Amino acid sequence: MSEPIYLLGGYQTDLARNWQKENKHISAMFNEAVAGALDATGVQPEDVQVGHVGNFAAELYTMQGHLGAFLVETDPAFSGLPTGRHEAACASGSIALLAAMAEIQAGWYDCSLVLGVEQMKTVDSARGGDFLGTAAWYEREAKGVAYPFPKLFGRLGDEYDKRFGLKDEHLARISTINYANAKKNPLAQTRNWYMSEQHANSTDRFNSVIGGRIKISDASQVTDGAIAVFVASRKYAEEYARRKGVSVDSLPRILGWGHHTAPLEFDAKVAESKDNPYVLPHTRAAITDAFRRAGIADVWGIDAIETHDCFTTSEYMAIDHFGLTAPGKSWQAIEEGVIELDGQVPINPSGGLIGAGHPVGGTGVRQVMDAYRQVTDTAGGYQVNGARRVATLNIGGSGTTSVSFIVGYDN
Amino acid sequence: MATDTSPAIALQKVVIIGANGAMGAGAATMFAGGGCDVTLVARDLGKVEGAVAQVQSIAKSERIADGLVQMTYSEGYAKLLEDADLIFEAVAEDFPLKREILAEIDRSRPQGSLVATVSSGLSIRGLAEGLSDDFRRNFAGIHLFNPPHMMTGTELIPHPEMPAERVQALSTLMTERFGRSMITCADMPAFAGNRIGFKVLNEVAQLAEQHGVQLMDTLVGPYTGRAMPPLATIDLVGWDVHQAIVDNVYANVKDEAIEAFKLPEYMEKQIRHGHLGDKTPLLGGFFRRVTHDGRAPEGKRSWTEVLDPGTGTYKETEKITVPFVEEIRDLHRRGRYQQGVARFMEVEGAQADIARRVILGYISYGLNRVGPGEVVQDYAEVDRIMSAGFNWAPPSALVDLIGLDQSIAALERYNLPVPALLTAAKKGEVMTPLFNLPFVSPGRYFAG
Repeated sequence: MSEPIYLLGGYQTDLARNWQKENKHISAMFNEAVAGALDATGVQPEDVQVGHVGNFAAELYTMQGHLGAFLVETDPAFSGLPTGRHEAACASGSIALLAAMAEIQAGWYDCSLVLGVEQMKTVDSARGGDFLGTAAWYEREAKGVAYPFPKLFGRLGDEYDKRFGLKDEHLARISTINYANAKKNPLAQTRNWYMSEQHANSTDRFNSVIGGRIKISDASQVTDGAIAVFVASRKYAEEYARRKGVSVDSLPRILGWGHHTAPLEFDAKVAESKDNPYVLPHTRAAITDAFRRAGIADVWGIDAIETHDCFTTSEYMAIDHFGLTAPGKSWQAIEEGVIELDGQVPINPSGGLIGAGHPVGGTGVRQVMDAYRQVTDTAGGYQVNGARRVATLNIGGSGTTSVSFIVGYDN
Repeated sequence: MATDTSPAIALQKVVIIGANGAMGAGAATMFAGGGCDVTLVARDLGKVEGAVAQVQSIAKSERIADGLVQMTYSEGYAKLLEDADLIFEAVAEDFPLKREILAEIDRSRPQGSLVATVSSGLSIRGLAEGLSDDFRRNFAGIHLFNPPHMMTGTELIPHPEMPAERVQALSTLMTERFGRSMITCADMPAFAGNRIGFKVLNEVAQLAEQHGVQLMDTLVGPYTGRAMPPLATIDLVGWDVHQAIVDNVYANVKDEAIEAFKLPEYMEKQIRHGHLGDKTPLLGGFFRRVTHDGRAPEGKRSWTEVLDPGTGTYKETEKITVPFVEEIRDLHRRGRYQQGVARFMEVEGAQADIARRVILGYISYGLNRVGPGEVVQDYAEVDRIMSAGFNWAPPSALVDLIGLDQSIAALERYNLPVPALLTAAKKGEVMTPLFNLPFVSPGRYFAG
């Protein structure tokens, strides 16, 4: 990438919180996340030139739109700040970050605030499931369907099964690893929940099927969360580094990005990829674009991955799409322990969407925040030793919008 | 088997004595979730099966039961405790009963095994009196808050003879393997959390006699930094439990605010008549839900009644609106906690004075429980237990929001002892802001 993009860090709210129970308006999430990010990074509010919000469906969950305007409320210095909101279902946060990066590379701004947010615990699970259905082609895939997304991602598993064979025990292992990693993450939603591989393998009254081959243990969580990060040009990063008394080269960068959109309907995706080695070729392309832009040959140049495990099947898909195995052989990486916290390329050290939580429009930013923690050696209990470069993969819809970032340092 | 000199504790086999209570089942879930082999012990098999069902429902997992060993006392303690690394006694809060069971445990336990008792305030030294040296060196109180799987706050009250490094190892183990928010307390009545928390609750109950139940729950409501209003909290805890805690402190402690622990007479009277709060739903406590058809007012199937402390009678609740409370709630609702607390400190009037005195009293009393001769040695432990055990805004976070100078001035204005911590912070001897618990955002406690 021409103009380097520096990542200055940020702040994430505790994903176990229920803001409705606290009787909070979504603006409180903005305030806490931005105040936390300013405090954590030492970025001066006067230096922030633009703000981008990633959010999926605040209009539905909280009856509130025009979210960019809430950024202006978070600090007196933000009066008049140009802001906007970006939506691409569960990939909204990454799209907000891409917009901020594009503006920096265009030379418009030097320091941007990016906030991903979703407040979801305002409605019961059936109504929330219906809202999430608008991330699919609602009228054709979700209307009148109870919990459409587990069913769509169940079909992703079925497609793997049909093309290559798929054992549910491998999905159970994915779930178990994510929950185990989340126990080491003090901001993870499920950090105090019980999980075991036996439970994940069991189908019973506590682990019932919610759609196709997807059970409760295969699913990510309904989560309230806000995550704010700052990205900067080299010019601002140099000034910031000088003020902090560190070398600008010690600040991590967003080394590469990839972004593709597939047809909205799941059937159309499958039909399009029927002769392709990859089930979701556009997702694969987002990943390889990110590698190429970062100057990385393949996944073995990456130290960890934060991927979009909205369901265990989407992580199963990510394993071969990242190139950890040949297409269809994701099970090998699971069996060989490659994706475990102490494996060759750990996936979701944070616990991912299953363990850490999935505040839909916030997830893309949360993944990048976790990548920042890993490469700056500040991830605490879920630190991947010596991580220098971390990849993210954020997916909106049933594999529709895919965005991947590479965060870290040049070798 | 761990020894006194080994810094890390290897915990494999845990035996829960009295597994069918809320604390026993909660602890069993916690230990099984952390990968221990757990044995559940209760009086008869029916009770043990009940414990297994409780564990499954807490963990939301049928499979968690696969690894649980089910036993009754009839097996004999020698067999129950064979190879145990930790014996976790969770029978009822009854001193003679606990003494009897701990003596049995002492006779049969493996040397070097840890023994913990779940208690919300009984003397740990007293419970271990006359038991073996090895027992006393390995004995601690572990106070869990209810329900343990939701509230991670945990008090560790080591027997004074437990070696310091073993105390540290146990605390680390509970934190790292079982996700507990640990504090270490001295063996003093009610330990730390309940001492500080029930002082506030009982003070509000005392004030309710003059100002009414609903008004007090509004003035010291969730907007002051708590998940639940104080008197509703006493109903949830149970009036009998509340009485046991405040009576124990009132009888055995001398401190600057001891009169706040005197149980109000109206409460004593209600308890005598069987009003124990939510656990006696028909009689109620401060509140009760009424669903009898015959007594329902026009068009209502159920309604809530509130106690009149003066007469001991109940009447239907009414909507109480206190303008400054609404104003502050609106600020908190938008995440403007600093402004909300600032407003709380400046608003004029008798009602605001009542609320401020309670909150400043909480700050003063909480932070004065720190230091030599007190129940904890670091103010962060008070913060941790009030947040993770009570879901209340930690005292030092309140000081930060009010401002250090303003806090000291306000405490002086209300004739409340200024904690040494604040004086030291003012001199620059302690880092500010004071609140320093990682990953805890105090804003969460200030409800909108």
